Amino acid sequence: MKNDDKPSLAARREFLSKLGRAATCTGAAIGAAALGVMPNVSAKSEPAADAGSFPTKDYDWSKHQWGFGVDATKCIGCLRCVEACKRENDVPVNAHQFRTWVERYVHLEDDPEVHIDSQQDPVNIEASGSEKEFRFANRYKDAKVDKAFFVPKLCNHCTHPACVQVCPTGATYRTEDGVVLIDHGYCIGCRYCVQACPYGARYFNEEKGVSDKCTWCYHRITKGLQPACVEVCPVGARVFGDQNDKQSPISLFIRNNRVQVLRPETGNAPNVFYVGIDKEVN
Amino acid sequence: MPKHIFRLVSLILGLLVVAIIAKPFLTVDSFYRFGHYRANSVTEIAAQEPVLQTARYCEGCHSARHAQWSAGSHKSVTCEICHGAAQGHPQNGKLPIPKDAVKLCTQCHEAMPGRPRTQPQIQVAQHSSGQQCTVCHNPHSPKIAAALVKVAGDAAAGKQRAAACASCHGTDGISPNDTWPNLAGQNAAYLARILAAYKSGDQKDVAMTPLAQALGDAEIQNLAAYYAGLGCKSAPGKSAAGDAAAGKALAKNCAACHGETGGGSNPAWPKLAAQKPGYLVNALKAFKAGLRKDPMMAGVSRGLSDTDIANLAAYYAAQSCQSTK
Repeated sequence: MKNDDKPSLAARREFLSKLGRAATCTGAAIGAAALGVMPNVSAKSEPAADAGSFPTKDYDWSKHQWGFGVDATKCIGCLRCVEACKRENDVPVNAHQFRTWVERYVHLEDDPEVHIDSQQDPVNIEASGSEKEFRFANRYKDAKVDKAFFVPKLCNHCTHPACVQVCPTGATYRTEDGVVLIDHGYCIGCRYCVQACPYGARYFNEEKGVSDKCTWCYHRITKGLQPACVEVCPVGARVFGDQNDKQSPISLFIRNNRVQVLRPETGNAPNVFYVGIDKEVN
Repeated sequence: MPKHIFRLVSLILGLLVVAIIAKPFLTVDSFYRFGHYRANSVTEIAAQEPVLQTARYCEGCHSARHAQWSAGSHKSVTCEICHGAAQGHPQNGKLPIPKDAVKLCTQCHEAMPGRPRTQPQIQVAQHSSGQQCTVCHNPHSPKIAAALVKVAGDAAAGKQRAAACASCHGTDGISPNDTWPNLAGQNAAYLARILAAYKSGDQKDVAMTPLAQALGDAEIQNLAAYYAGLGCKSAPGKSAAGDAAAGKALAKNCAACHGETGGGSNPAWPKLAAQKPGYLVNALKAFKAGLRKDPMMAGVSRGLSDTDIANLAAYYAAQSCQSTK
């Protein structure tokens, strides 16, 4: 280091020292002011909470607690629910991204392994003719089938959702009426939630750059309609309703059947209740 | 405290204070209203417009179809499953009528391991020899057995009552006139169903309506039993105007319900063999024009020209009614 550099070094040190002191002083001053300002800011949104019903003027979420039932003994695997959901919710039209889907479980004689496929299996895509339509191929027609059944799947709208816990931006949350939603405006597309969900219920929408999943058709249920998949199910394998109402279809479904939830050991406490499934289903 | 540590700590503290102050200004108002999320996003999601409109929406304009559908066995299969989402209809044009019924219907009705036993299922290859399902089934009310009425009438009592019918339909059920149908040997279930339809007003005819209204339910059964029991005495009518050979080709579409030669394969539907050609022409034209109401016949007669109708009538009139094919 040369000697003539010293004055500039000293000058820089002096400048930084002054800057530090100035920052501390301003910080303290603004900090003191902020203590007075902050309560005002948070108070601004308080009164709105009691003004009328939320989220819409005709629908009060504090009066509902939604629940979903799946009766696998009734499902015929026609996949009308999958098509209806895609149409209703603007899900990309392909055979790989779904908000709801149907799985087929087949036990063959003399084969200890269970054969599982869904509509996105290549054989089933071929049977449907394109990735825009969905159909289960009759691939076990000539096999010795011991037991077979279809299981509709969707987001479980858990009471303690792992996906909400991991979201770094508050873009996914559980509403007061028990629906787990995604705020597409706040989602940064990090896909932590896709990884966190133990049920594989979330997918990443590349077109929009956000995570997406079933909302139980929140825009329909808040208008008094059924979710699209429930609306179109021709055999009543899907049941939806308000758990607060003891006569609603879902309350009756839970009361009149021995129901179970998927992967209870994960502690997510799902709100989709299943009837007629085997231990292989999870 | 060493000077440089003090500077560092104060810098960090300074930035922290700036961040704390900036946060309320950068966070949207509704964010902490209910929790660590934007409350307005709930309102935004709830405000989206439904795409599927439910059957009630369709009922407004398609009330007749809706009534038929909601009374049938397909009432759990909503309109939009087959016709697509009704959002924007009718403003943006018509909704599709499915072209390939085989592909659509077998989504639910193809026999497949895993489908519950209560679901009606068919072996596709053996069921219809490639014909469209809608040839025989009305998709809005597909159960065919619904048309089949059990007949348990007394033929002897029917014979007495039939004296009043003889002037038009002949003493032995063979009509003397080209425009009135032969009744001898006709399926009893069909006769009973049609008489009941005249009586209730579902089917109208200047002559038949008042006559049928005078009949009791038991008399209808008796008459049906009597005429069904008569021999049809194959009496081919006078040579008809149409081309029977051309009619034979067309008649393939009718065979599933009426039999290959009009002998009838199902007692719910009329036998056509050796029927009066004039009557057949009138009946087909009435179905086509909607004067006679039958969902299946309305569908199949829609595409027939007057020449086709004459040809079909000529073909069936020329068949022997003894055949049961």
